[in-house]
Amino acid sequence: MTNNEKYQDVFVNCFSVEKWQLNEKFIYESVPEWDSVGHMGMIAELEETFDIMMEMDDIIDFSSYTTGKEILSKYNIIFD
Amino acid sequence: MEEFSLGPLELQKYQPNRYPFIMIDYVDAVLPGAYARGHKNLTLNEWYFPKHFPDGPNMPGALQLEAMAQMLTVAITTLPGLEGEVTHAISHFVKFKKEVLPGDKLVIETEVLSWKRGICKGRGVGKTNNEIACEADMIITIPNILEKYLPQSKQNR
Repeated sequence: MTNNEKYQDVFVNCFSVEKWQLNEKFIYESVPEWDSVGHMGMIAELEETFDIMMEMDDIIDFSSYTTGKEILSKYNIIFD
Repeated sequence: MEEFSLGPLELQKYQPNRYPFIMIDYVDAVLPGAYARGHKNLTLNEWYFPKHFPDGPNMPGALQLEAMAQMLTVAITTLPGLEGEVTHAISHFVKFKKEVLPGDKLVIETEVLSWKRGICKGRGVGKTNNEIACEADMIITIPNILEKYLPQSKQNR
């Protein structure tokens, strides 16, 4: 499984969305499931999936599906 | 960190609820961030018994759940720096097995399954006469901590 597939799966599992919904318009609070608690659940699942520990500023800045990929690249998670 | 106990007055430092909504009398053992155990003694004087129910007084299920949630809260608010913090419930999944009656001692045992960035996942069990009366999987939060980790809300953009 590629990093992109793993990344998508986290969003699908956490927010009960379809993969086609995951684009630049998928942002914090754009669906009811991505609320404050959903945000923390997603961060925890990303950390587990990619075996990383995210810094506080990165968790705050993680405001969209697209931005999230840029942030994860700081942790050497490469998306093809 | 070592486990310790909390009497009714000390408990108020770590548990913001007050009469008539304190659902625990005594914390027999708390290990901050790990577990809290204690009890609530029920007498016929409890404020809810006359109405719930006149012909068959028993502790409302919602208050049994509240007792477990309050005990789980203590397991978190006893952590360094969290004394006096208010907690909110996020979601609870509860099962009730038997009635909790006047004269019963409700023994409440909770454990913290995870505590991270203002969110606590935990589990609680309430027992009377060594039998399970209620049990719950709970998620509670300390909003003051959780809010520090959130992206800017749509309303504030």
